Amino acid sequence: MNWVGRAAKLALLAALAAAVAFGATDVQSAVNPIGPQSGKIANLWWFFFWLLGAIYIVVMIAALWTLTRPNRGFGQEPLEHTHQLSPETDRRTSRVVAGATITTIVILFVLIVASVGTGKGLSELGEQKNSLTIQVMGIQWWWQVMYQTSDSSIAVTTANEIHIPVGRPVQLRLLSNDVIHSFWVPNLHGKTDLIPSRVNTQWIQADKPGVYRGQCAEFCGLQHAHMIIYVVAESPDKFKAWYDRQLQPAAAPSDPVMQRGQQVFMNNACVYCHQIRGTDAAGQNGPDLTHFGSRLGIAANTVPNTPGNLGGWIADPQSTKPGNHMATIALNSADMHPLINYLESLK
Amino acid sequence: MTQTQDVLPNVPNQEQNISNLERTWRRGRGLIGWLSVTTHQAIGMRYIVTAFIMLCVGGIEALLMRIQLAKPNNTFLSADLYNQIFTTHGTTMMFLFAVPVMEGMAIYLVPLMCGTRNVAFPRLNAFGYWMFLGGVLFLYWGVFTGAAPDMGWFAYPPLSGPQFTPGKRTDVWAQMITFTEFSALCVATEIVVTILKMRAPGMSLNRIPLYVWSLLIQSFMVIFAMPAIVVASSFLLSDRTIGTHFVNPSEGGDPLLYQHIFWFFGHPEVYIIFIPALGFVSAIVSANARQHVFGYPAMVLSQIANGFIAFGLWVHHMFATGLPQIGEAFFTASSMMIAITSGVQIFCWIATLWTGRPRMTTALYFVYGFIAIFVLGGMTGVMLASVPLDLQVHDTYFVIAHFHYVLIGGAVFPLFGAFYHWFPKMTGRMMSERLGRWNFWVLFVGFNLTFFPMHILGLKGMPRRVYTYPPEVGWGFISQIATAGAFVIAIGGVMFLINVFRSRKSGAIAGNNPWDADSLEWATSSPPANYNFEYLPAATSRSPMWVPREERTFVTGLRTDRREVLVTTLMDAEPHHRYVLPGSSIWPFITAIAASITFVGSVFNPWYIISGSILIFVGLLGWFWPRRAAEIRDEA
Amino acid sequence: MTEPKTIDVSHLPPYDISNQAPLWWGQLLLAAIEGMMFCILIAAYLYVRLRYDVWPPPGDQFPHRLLPTLALIPLILSCIGTYWASEAAKKDDRAGMIKGLALNLVLAIVFFVIRLMDWYSLNFSYKADAFGTYLWAFLAVHTYDYVGDVIFTLVLFLLVVIGRHGPKVRLGVHVDSVVWYFLVIVWIPIYVAVYWGPTLMETQQ
Repeated sequence: MNWVGRAAKLALLAALAAAVAFGATDVQSAVNPIGPQSGKIANLWWFFFWLLGAIYIVVMIAALWTLTRPNRGFGQEPLEHTHQLSPETDRRTSRVVAGATITTIVILFVLIVASVGTGKGLSELGEQKNSLTIQVMGIQWWWQVMYQTSDSSIAVTTANEIHIPVGRPVQLRLLSNDVIHSFWVPNLHGKTDLIPSRVNTQWIQADKPGVYRGQCAEFCGLQHAHMIIYVVAESPDKFKAWYDRQLQPAAAPSDPVMQRGQQVFMNNACVYCHQIRGTDAAGQNGPDLTHFGSRLGIAANTVPNTPGNLGGWIADPQSTKPGNHMATIALNSADMHPLINYLESLK
Repeated sequence: MTQTQDVLPNVPNQEQNISNLERTWRRGRGLIGWLSVTTHQAIGMRYIVTAFIMLCVGGIEALLMRIQLAKPNNTFLSADLYNQIFTTHGTTMMFLFAVPVMEGMAIYLVPLMCGTRNVAFPRLNAFGYWMFLGGVLFLYWGVFTGAAPDMGWFAYPPLSGPQFTPGKRTDVWAQMITFTEFSALCVATEIVVTILKMRAPGMSLNRIPLYVWSLLIQSFMVIFAMPAIVVASSFLLSDRTIGTHFVNPSEGGDPLLYQHIFWFFGHPEVYIIFIPALGFVSAIVSANARQHVFGYPAMVLSQIANGFIAFGLWVHHMFATGLPQIGEAFFTASSMMIAITSGVQIFCWIATLWTGRPRMTTALYFVYGFIAIFVLGGMTGVMLASVPLDLQVHDTYFVIAHFHYVLIGGAVFPLFGAFYHWFPKMTGRMMSERLGRWNFWVLFVGFNLTFFPMHILGLKGMPRRVYTYPPEVGWGFISQIATAGAFVIAIGGVMFLINVFRSRKSGAIAGNNPWDADSLEWATSSPPANYNFEYLPAATSRSPMWVPREERTFVTGLRTDRREVLVTTLMDAEPHHRYVLPGSSIWPFITAIAASITFVGSVFNPWYIISGSILIFVGLLGWFWPRRAAEIRDEA
Repeated sequence: MTEPKTIDVSHLPPYDISNQAPLWWGQLLLAAIEGMMFCILIAAYLYVRLRYDVWPPPGDQFPHRLLPTLALIPLILSCIGTYWASEAAKKDDRAGMIKGLALNLVLAIVFFVIRLMDWYSLNFSYKADAFGTYLWAFLAVHTYDYVGDVIFTLVLFLLVVIGRHGPKVRLGVHVDSVVWYFLVIVWIPIYVAVYWGPTLMETQQ
C-alpha cells in the first residue's frame, strides 16, 4: 500500500505543477484557440486528453494493484512448484486480458473516427467563398509576405507580419526559397511545412482581434530560433485602412533629416537587398522596407522595432542575430541617426 | 577444476573434457590476442561498455543543452555550438548508444539462452564491433575538430545539402551512419542464424524464450529497415561529394523523398531499440513473479505484429509536409493500431504479476517504472497519431517529451532492469539492492521532472531545436524545472556507476542462478566460461531451468579439441550436424581497418571506394583463406 | 539418484554442405539486405518519375537496348555453371566444380564485357539531372556487387584448381551460388527499370 500512496502523491504533485504551468501565459499556445481551425484541434485535444488520461490511470491502478500481493523476499523456492497457473485462473485471466484488448481496439477506433472527422472539419474553411489569399515565402531566416489579388497578381509585399481581417477565411500559400521551414501560429492553426519546389496551403481565420505570435517550426539552420512571425487580426475597417496604406508607395521624406537618411540609404549597399517602392531601391534579397516603420519587429521579430534596436541592428547585425545574411555596413553616427529617422518614418 | 554447470551427466573423462575446453576456447595473449577475440561474451561486453560510455557522453551533451535553455536569451552556448550539440546528442543516443547496447546484450545473452557456445559467425561478430567502434571514433573525431554535424540527427536536405551546409559536417554524419549500419546488419545476420540454427535440442519454436523471440523479430527488422538509411545517407553523401541529384531540389531531386526513405528506416529504428527491451521485461517478470509470462502465444504474435506494423507507420513523421489527407488517414490508423500490440503485452505482464508472487528486486522496480513511463508515452503517441493534433504539436517539445517517455521508459528503464538482473551472471557478483532501489527512484523522479513539463512547453508553443527563446513567451519557469530534473537524472547515472564498480569488487558472490530464473543462461557459472557449458543442455520445456534436475537432458559427443557446436533444425530443433567454429582471428580487425579507410577516405575523395575495396578484398582473403591446420577432417 | 539423460551427437557429420548450413542462411540474409536496398532504389526512382511532367527530361536520350538485352543470355546461362559447381561441391567432385565454376566465370566475363561496351553508349551523365543520377546509381551498385562476386568466384576456382578443396572451400562454392543467383535475379527488375523504364514511363506527347 506504501507504493500506491507514494505513487498517488507523485501524480498529484505532477498534476498541480501542470495546472500552474498551463495557466501561465497564453502567448503562442495551442490550447488558447482564437479561430475555428485551432478551436477544432483544441476540442479534439481535450477529448483525447481526458479519455487517454482516464485509461492511463486505470492501467496504472491495475499495475500497482499487483504489488498488494505478499512479498516473498529472497529465499529460493524449492522446485516442487511447477510455476504454472491452475486452469481456472488461466481461464479467468485470459478473459480479462481479452476484454482489455477488445476495449483497447474499440477506444482506438473511436479515436481514429474523431481524428479523421476533425481533419475533415479543418477542410471546411477552404470551401468558403470570400477568402483572402496571402503568399508566404520562407527564407533563411525571415518571412516574405505577399498579398495576392483575385487575378493572382501581387498587390502588397511586406515581411514578418501578416494582417488579416477578423472573421474572414484566409488562404496561405506557403513556399520556400531555400531550405524546409514550417509556418506555425498555434493560436490560429497547426503547422504546415514550406518545402522548396512545392506549394503547400493552409487555411486560417481569426475570430478575435489581437496580435498572434508564431515561429518557424522546422529546423532551418543557425537562426531557426529567431524566425518569428506575427499575425495581426483586426476589424475589417482597420484591416482595409492598413491594406490601403500598404498599397501606397513609400512616404516621401518630410524634413531634411529624413531626406539625409534617404540619401544614406540610396548611397550604400542597402539597395542591393532591400526594396522601397517609390524610390530607386529595388533589391529583392531581403525584406521589403516600403512600410517598415509600421511593423512590430526587426529581423523577423528578433527584437522589437524601436529606434534604439534599429540602430543596433544596422550597426552590427551579427550581434543581434549571429550568422544571419545581412551585410554589415560601416556607417558613422552622422549617417546613422538620419537613416533611422527615415526608416521609422516609412509607416 | 570446478565445473561450470551444477548438474552434469555422468560421462567418463570429465576433468579432461573441461581442461580441453579451457584450452580450445582460450583467448590469445597480449594486444594481438585482444584484437583477435571472437568469443561472444567478450564482444558483447565490449559493445555494452562502449555504448554505455556513449550514453554518458550523450547525457553530458543533454546537460549542456538544458543549461543553455534554463533561462530566456541565455548566452551559455552560441547558436552554432548549440546546433552541433543537439545534433550530436540525438545522433549519439540513437546510433551509438541505443541500438548498439541492445545488440551487445543480445550478443551476450542469445547464445547462452539458446544453449550454445557462440554466435553462428564469430568473426563477423568481431568485425561488427570494430565497425561500431569506427563509427564512434569517426563521429567524435569530427566533433573535436569542428566538424560536428549540426543539421539535426535526421539531416533533412536541402539544409544538409552542399549548398546550405558546406564543409565536412554532414559528410561525417552520413559516413558514421554507414559504419554503424554495417555493424547492426552484421549482428542481425548472425543473431538470426544463431536463433534459427543453433538452438538447444528440443527448443522448438514454441519453447524459445520470449527474449530470444524479441531478438529474432528485431533482427529481421534490422535487415529490412537498415538498408533504407544506408540508401538515404548515401544519397545525401553523393549529392554532396560527387554532384548527383538524388535529393537536391535543383535538377529534379526531391527533399521529400529523403524524408520518406529516412523515416521508412526511422520508424522501425525506434522499434528496433524498443522490442529487445520488451524481451528484457519478459525475462525479468517471469523470474521475479516466479512463473511463466502469461499468454505466450499472444506475446509472440504481438511482437511479430509489432515488427510488421512498425514498417507501416513512417508517414506520421511527415504529417505537416502537405501530403494528401487520405494517405495520412491510413497512417493515423496504423499508428494507432500498433498500440494494440504493445497493449496486449502490457496486459500479459500485468496478468503475470497479478497471478504470480512478485519479488521486489531492483530489476522489477525498473519494470514497474517502465510500465508507468512507457504507457504514458504510448498515450501521447496515440495523440500524435491524430493528424490534427500532430499539426499543433509536431516539431515541438511535446514530441520531445513523447519520444523520451517511450525510449527512456520503454527501452532504457528495462535496460537498467536488465543490468541489475544479469550483472550477477556477467560478473559473478550481486549488485547492491539497497543502492539499486535509491538508483531507481532518483532516475524515476529525475526523468519525470525533466520530461513531463515538456508536454506543457510544447502545447504552449515551444518548437524544437531552438537555441534560445525570449522572456515574453513564458517558457522560462518550466524550462528551469526541466533543467533541474536533468541534473537529477545525471545523479542517478552516477549512482548506477558507483553501484557497478563497488559491486564488481565487493558484491556478494552470485552463484549460478541467484534469481531462480528459468532460462538456460542460469544453468552455468557466473560468469560463464568462454565455452559457456561443458555439456550443451537440451530444452524439454519453455522454462528449462524449472525442470527438476533429474529430468534434464544434455548433449554429449561434441569434440572438445576444436570449437564445435551443434546445428539443429528450424522448427523442432532436432540435432542435424556438428559445426566447427573458427578460433581467434586477427582478420576481422584488419578487414575493419580496410573498411574504415574506405569509408573515411571516400568522404574526402570518391576514389577511395575503389582503392579501399581492394584493401577490403585483401582482408577478406585472409579471413576466408583455408588453412591446412584448420581443415575439418572426418573422424575415422 | 537417476542420472540426467543424454543425447549423443558424435555420429553426426562435422559439417554439412547443403542449405542447412549456417553459412548458407547467413548468405541468404545478406542477399535479402542487398535486395531490400535495390527495392528502395527502385521505389525512389518511381517516386522521382511521378514528380516530373516530361520524362525523360529534355536532352536525355533513351538508353539503347540491344546490347543489354543480348547480355542477358550469358548472364542467365552462367547460372547453369553455378548450379553444376554447387552440386559438385556437395559430392566433393573436383572435376565437376572446376567445370561449373569455369563455365560460370567465362559467361560472367562475357556479360561484363558487353556491359562495358554498353556503357560507352550511354549519353547521360550522373551529374546532369535526376534521370542520369538514378540510372547510373543502379548500374554502379549492381556492377560493384557483380565484380565483387566474380572476383570471389575466381578465388574459389583457383583454390579448387590447386587442390585445396576441403569442406570449407566446398561450402564456399555451394554458398557462392546463393550470391550468384541473387545477382542474376536482382538484375532483371533493374534491367527493366533502366532500359525499359524510360519508355514505359514516357510522357505521352
